[in-house]
Amino acid sequence: MILDWLPPTLIGVLLVLAGIGAIRRMNLWRAGQAEKVDFLAGLFAMPKRYLHDLHHVVERDKYMSRTHVATGGGFVLAMVLVVFVHLFGVKNEILAWALLAALVLMFCGALFVYKRRMNPPSRLSKGPWMRLPKSLLTFSITFFVLTLPAAGILPEGTGGWILTLVLSVLILMSLSEMLFGMTWGGPMKHAFAGALHLAFHRRPERFGGGRSTGLKPAALGEASHGVAKPTDFKWNQLLGFDACVQCGRCEAVCPAFAAGQPLNPKKLIQDMVVGFAGGTDKKYAGSAYPGVEVGNAKGAPDQIITNGLISSDTLWSCTTCRACVEECPMMIEHVDAIVDMRRFLTLEKGETPNKGAQVLENIIATDNPNGYSPASRTHWAADQNLNLMKDVKQADVLFWVSDGAFDMRSQRILRAFVKLMKAANIDVAILGDEELDSGDVARRLGDDAAFQSLAKRNLATLSKYSFKTIVTTDPHAFHCLKNEYGDFGSDALKGVEVLHHTTFLNRLVKEERLQLDTFKGGKVTYHDPCYLGRYNGEYEAPRELLASLGIDVAEMERSGYRSRCCGGGGGAPITDIPGERRIADMRMEDVVSTGAEMVAVGCQQCTAMLEGVVEPRPVVKDIAEILVSQLAEEVNS
Amino acid sequence: MPPKVNVVSLVSVGRHPQSGRSRRAEQDGRAVELGLKLSKKSLTVVHAGDSQEPVLRQYAGMGLDSLTVLPQAADGDALPVLVEFLKNSKAQVVLTGVRAESGESSGMLPYLLAEQLGWPLVPRVAEILTIKEGAAEVLLALPRGQRRSVIVSLPFIATVDNAAAEARQTAFGPGLRADLKVLNVESVTDDAMATWQISAAKPRPKRLKVVKAKTAADRMKAATAKPVGGGGKVMKNETAAEKAQAIFDLLLEEKVVR
Amino acid sequence: MSEFTPTESTLSDLLRRDPRAEWIARNRLHPLHSSVVSAGQGEVRGPSGLLRKNPHVIGFIGPNGIKRIDRANLSAAGLNGKKRAGEAKETQLPLHIVDNPDGYIMVVADMIGGRLTGHDKDILGLAHQLVGENKAAGKGSIAVVLVCFGESKETQFDLAGVDRLLHITGQEFEGFAPEARLSALMQVEAQYKPVNWLFPDSIHGGTDLACRLASRLGERPATQAWQVTASNTVSRGASGSRDISRETPRILMLMEECANAIEDTRHQVLDLAFDADAVETGDDYRLIDQGQIEVDSNAVPLAEAEFILSAGNGIHNWDQFHAVAAALRATEGASRVAVDDGFMPRSRQVGASGTWVTARVYLAVGISGAIQHMQGIGQCDKVVAINTDAGCDMVKRADLAVIEDSEAILDALLKLAQEHYLSKEQEKSDAA
Ligand SMILES: Cc1cc2nc3c(=O)[nH]c(=O)nc-3n(C[C@H](O)[C@H](O)[C@H](O)COP(=O)(O)OP(=O)(O)OC[C@H]3O[C@@H](n4cnc5c(N)ncnc54)[C@H](O)[C@@H]3O)c2cc1C
Ligand code: SF4
Ligand code: SF4
Repeated sequence: MILDWLPPTLIGVLLVLAGIGAIRRMNLWRAGQAEKVDFLAGLFAMPKRYLHDLHHVVERDKYMSRTHVATGGGFVLAMVLVVFVHLFGVKNEILAWALLAALVLMFCGALFVYKRRMNPPSRLSKGPWMRLPKSLLTFSITFFVLTLPAAGILPEGTGGWILTLVLSVLILMSLSEMLFGMTWGGPMKHAFAGALHLAFHRRPERFGGGRSTGLKPAALGEASHGVAKPTDFKWNQLLGFDACVQCGRCEAVCPAFAAGQPLNPKKLIQDMVVGFAGGTDKKYAGSAYPGVEVGNAKGAPDQIITNGLISSDTLWSCTTCRACVEECPMMIEHVDAIVDMRRFLTLEKGETPNKGAQVLENIIATDNPNGYSPASRTHWAADQNLNLMKDVKQADVLFWVSDGAFDMRSQRILRAFVKLMKAANIDVAILGDEELDSGDVARRLGDDAAFQSLAKRNLATLSKYSFKTIVTTDPHAFHCLKNEYGDFGSDALKGVEVLHHTTFLNRLVKEERLQLDTFKGGKVTYHDPCYLGRYNGEYEAPRELLASLGIDVAEMERSGYRSRCCGGGGGAPITDIPGERRIADMRMEDVVSTGAEMVAVGCQQCTAMLEGVVEPRPVVKDIAEILVSQLAEEVNS
Repeated sequence: MPPKVNVVSLVSVGRHPQSGRSRRAEQDGRAVELGLKLSKKSLTVVHAGDSQEPVLRQYAGMGLDSLTVLPQAADGDALPVLVEFLKNSKAQVVLTGVRAESGESSGMLPYLLAEQLGWPLVPRVAEILTIKEGAAEVLLALPRGQRRSVIVSLPFIATVDNAAAEARQTAFGPGLRADLKVLNVESVTDDAMATWQISAAKPRPKRLKVVKAKTAADRMKAATAKPVGGGGKVMKNETAAEKAQAIFDLLLEEKVVR
Repeated sequence: MSEFTPTESTLSDLLRRDPRAEWIARNRLHPLHSSVVSAGQGEVRGPSGLLRKNPHVIGFIGPNGIKRIDRANLSAAGLNGKKRAGEAKETQLPLHIVDNPDGYIMVVADMIGGRLTGHDKDILGLAHQLVGENKAAGKGSIAVVLVCFGESKETQFDLAGVDRLLHITGQEFEGFAPEARLSALMQVEAQYKPVNWLFPDSIHGGTDLACRLASRLGERPATQAWQVTASNTVSRGASGSRDISRETPRILMLMEECANAIEDTRHQVLDLAFDADAVETGDDYRLIDQGQIEVDSNAVPLAEAEFILSAGNGIHNWDQFHAVAAALRATEGASRVAVDDGFMPRSRQVGASGTWVTARVYLAVGISGAIQHMQGIGQCDKVVAINTDAGCDMVKRADLAVIEDSEAILDALLKLAQEHYLSKEQEKSDAA
């Protein structure tokens, strides 16, 4: 046969090209900033991360998870065997049969991919991705036929040179997609970048069921702050962007996208890729940022991102709700990237939109976002008889009041919680005027300088006193204290348990230190605050508390880890980027659709946002408020 | 705008009304903002006082490459050093706040500067529209958002009103990196101030509306009248016309309808 | 020398006439004719079209308590106009007389619109306190001189405590003329060497002129002074957070309510000799007044506006709302809902995420008063609410609330405003 050499050559050439592409791609990533990564451990852990962690997420969509196992697993196996069987010409029927089996598996998977692509949901990208199932099918069929002789099913030379030629063309077509495309930017790139991304992930703690949600501190005092250009990202962040499969799950859950604000997390990640690889977004075939036309964005590794690649409004629309991160099968970190870029806008450009500048100025001058007198922080507690740490120096529980102290609505929550603690005879104290804003808002708005200053000063205050537990009713402060204050080298919180009030109250109820009457009101639903749920994994305590009152929570369709944000996080109400509707209104519709008369929350910010929805609407109450109204009157003997 | 106007903005250390902490002063910030609008990067910003003052970084964070400091002790008198500095500068427009937020807050400094330099002073500027042929067209801020147009010859001093464009956000990075040019000047003590007694502000008694009732009827009226401020009046059952009339009367009384 | 001479003047018994009302009463074709006439006379058209008199509003109560019919038609309420408050049966106030004073205290008044302001009157009151102290200390008698520029419409200088009047008129002092006014003050200074110069510390020109005078004279004034005796002055410093106590300087800029206005005496209001023509009005003034710019009420920045008509979700007729705002010459504001729904631009939003306003009157139409909205109006003086819900928070906050459909009230307000300004214009064109 004159053409026998053709298929192996093609395979070989494409493999070499893929190799070259891989090196080029890696160089693109390496243009990013240095970041310490344990390469070996990462590579070893990679298969497990893929099979366990990634699939744990993919599993939420059963259809896709099976499809992916079949297609992906089949392909990887087939490709390895193809190299042996067809490139190196290893004559072994077992190998050949194995290859056939892998190809059949892949073929079946690809059929399902094909089916999904017949009528794809809007979140999926089209364009080259529509071609992928065809390439997959072509690959499996081509190599199946090509392998038949090796498996001894067909005699060698069947079909003659014509078949070989046809097969070669098909090999070229499918392998260009599968190998060449993998490293030169086709849809299959996700497999290559994705695998490495899993290995070198910036937050390895997330694998194996862990949680890593705290933002990384910005280095202060350098020649520039935050991420201005794509190359200012850490190299493994760039790698992470490249891993995106454009599945659009992030888009589907993003509250800002749904509200018609100019943000789409999927497009954002794709734009980051455009940025570090250079070029335009003309080839992007998914949903746009609402209200922004696709095709006008240009980027280059050393070009300022907000000069032409994405508009700063896109960055400021994010509520940092982490729904996208939670949902992303590739475990990409959208929020990190967004805040990194915000840091540049705030710390270097001084362009925090709308009330942002004023809020930051207030935080700096008064340690609270609304510029209230720091000496009035404890006014709410004038009649509460609470111990001040300054006086008692130690207590079992430190109640972190947070800035709700200045807000009349939030004070109702604070008082309710104090009453509950008193009912349970807790030895509690507050910091009083020594407490400062936790820095949450400053940090999400990109002002890490203000955040770090607050964090350090708060830690210095905390280190003066002794306590076993910190409890707060504010999930944002909770998150900062629990997950972000650890980066500042203080022992103040060593051995201290940081708790959200729902967790704490749930313990008290379980220990029967609180006597509660059954709730007799109407239907109740529960809204999971992002900073309690997704950021800290506390989904159960609030529900158990409600159950302890005899409330059977009428769950919203989006609850638990899929809870939809109220719109109040990440400084979004402050930057207030216009959209078509309000996120809080959408969330209230979720509430209304359960038929509930009351929505229970565990966050003062959620309370404010949901109560900002025009009446008539269900009542909004913090769980502490609900509990306090069911507190059984104490029977004094 | 002509290619080059030499603008100097004078800045002081402000005071946050709630916390009392040092901050970028409201009006001085606006003076820098207006200066940046007029002369972009060539703006000179000058502070007479402590060169270590962190607030200076907040001004610098508005995008200044450098900031000039004329070092003065805490009890120093800024006037002589500023006069000296301005005499030797090529300043054509000097912008200040109307009143400082710290110290005496007298608002006299710009007037004294103007007097000693022999320059005209425009008070409470909202906007500088044009500068050409040795004169500037300036909008003064009047109460109620009204404006007055004034032409003033260069060089001049202007105090910047709260109605002027708000100071841009200060950015941490550039503020940190800006160059502080500390000049070598003599510190001049403010002797008069040393004789003053300064204490925390005492609350001023609210003037009571003493009704000097001259007749029994007046006394009756005074005794039965609804106290002002103690909860509002709610009109429910009157006709729409009566209600509207009540509102209109209030508008007339408050002189917002004239 | 000064003394009090109780006089039995008949001055206060005189009715003050309201020429405009009289004019309207004469002019049967005037649109307001019937309202002016009937206001006083109780003359209304009955259902049959006949003119009817309401006997209860005819006439007036005479000094002996007996009702009298006023055939001369002088007392029609609209016609006899504003009486001096509470003067009906007052005894004549004693006259404070200063002859050949040993010195002068100059009070340079703002005189907004040609009339003394409350602030001006407080300062005149303070001036008399200082006079009293000086006298008690045996420093002779001092006259309080009111220095004012431009047109004066003030008719009650005597009751405000003006012993002497120095009214400086002339084209060059009109409008914004700080340099000319300073020259005049310098001449006053040279001529009279006042014991004190008192200025209102105000944005209406008082502070500006005072600072100019002080720096020209090289004297250190007290600013934001609020507690002043002849020897000691307490003034605010460090943006109102400190009290500075010092010897009373000659030039003082005084805060409102620094003293009580004069109430119990009348004063001579003698003109003080002053030759305005002799003022060295140099030709080298470097500030040229181009006049005030007409800023449309709705173009006034929201944060600076004095009177805001604000719309919320309870507005259903937007054309009407805009018409009322224009008729009342109010600046338009809005709640976030009105903005979100696209009826108002974002720049008009009042509240936490909009503008924090400082209006003297905030008229909220169909706004429920959510906490985020209330944050924005915390500094407003008077809040008026129009709302159908008597229980909403805006009604609770309001100084005056009317419970009614917004459209009905706005309709009535529109008419009132149009009538008001129409008659104003009539007045103006009549005067011309
Ligand atoms: C973070 C955040 C920030 C916010 N910032 C702002 C802000 O800056 N500014 C702001 O305004 N809001 C803000 N809001 C929204 C705020 O919570 C309220 O939703 C909003 O102010 C309500 O607007 P409204 O009073 O016009 O509407 P509604 O609450 O619907 O009130 C309408 C009122 O009109 C009355 N009404 C109805 N029909 C009539 C009629 N025919 N005649 C007379 N009255 C009638 C009703 O009785 C009711 O009182 C914010 C909310 C959040 C969560
Ligand atoms: S970022 Fe993640 S969730 Fe979003 S499209 Fe890419 S892979 Fe999917
Ligand atoms: S964090 Fe929330 S708001 Fe931000 S991009 Fe992700 S899903 Fe959207």
